Amino acid sequence: MKENIKRIRETMTPSIFEVFEKMFYVFLEPLDIRYDEYDMEAAISFEGTISGDVRILFSREIVRAMVQNMLGLEGDEIAVQDMEDCSKEAVNMVCGNFLSRFDSTKVFNLSAPTFKESQPECFESGEDICRMDFDSDNGKVGVVVKI
Amino acid sequence: MSFNVLIVDDSRSMRAVIKKTISMSGFKIDQCVEAGNGREALDVLAKSWVDVIISDINMPEMNGFEFLEELKKDSLLKAIPAIVISTEGSEKRIQNAFELGAKGFIKKPFLPEEIKKVLYEVIGVSDEGEYKEDKRDDDAFDF
Repeated sequence: MKENIKRIRETMTPSIFEVFEKMFYVFLEPLDIRYDEYDMEAAISFEGTISGDVRILFSREIVRAMVQNMLGLEGDEIAVQDMEDCSKEAVNMVCGNFLSRFDSTKVFNLSAPTFKESQPECFESGEDICRMDFDSDNGKVGVVVKI
Repeated sequence: MSFNVLIVDDSRSMRAVIKKTISMSGFKIDQCVEAGNGREALDVLAKSWVDVIISDINMPEMNGFEFLEELKKDSLLKAIPAIVISTEGSEKRIQNAFELGAKGFIKKPFLPEEIKKVLYEVIGVSDEGEYKEDKRDDDAFDF
């Protein structure tokens, strides 16, 4: 299990960088310390040779920056629906990208992404949980993969 | 030369991004119509003709693969080149898409130049707007 978590961490890191850079023009850097003050969360489940779920935890500022960069909207034009849509797309792309790097020969079934605008549950890295936090000029992002 | 494009994706934001990315790529759009799933896309196609379809896979009501099957069954609609755009990039998924008649596959996240390249390839037109006769799917017009 420990090996799997290590592999998940190594596979997830380039996935999250690629999605955030290409789609949202947000450049992330890994945080050495854990951050727990997130404002919202998007999640998706996957089933295949490994099954589990991916959660992305967002600070409000980073989601606003993502919407601005992705859709070209200005501050007062951003609706909650845009933030939800953008967060769900992010978790969908990160999960898809991660799974094709993890095993491109296998098919994984993904659920519909969900969104929650409230302080997310805290997850600790462990035997079946991989937790990572990232910082950027636009705010913070946490990623939790549970298998 | 400009083209009519149908974008099928259940995310309004993603439809907007795809449209914006196509415009940024330099590919000329005449009209862009949108649908939230395969069923809505078929309704759109009953009313308007498009030159190319870009469709997601995971969508409610009628997913991208079911939509491709419906296109394949229709002697007119099967002539429209379809491109699948998805986060799911496994070899098997890509193969499934091509078996169901897709002419191109774009993996999310994407860059404008990737979209442009696939669009011109499937339409059979060079960047300068010249038709490449050998690229057109003549069988698709056999109705």
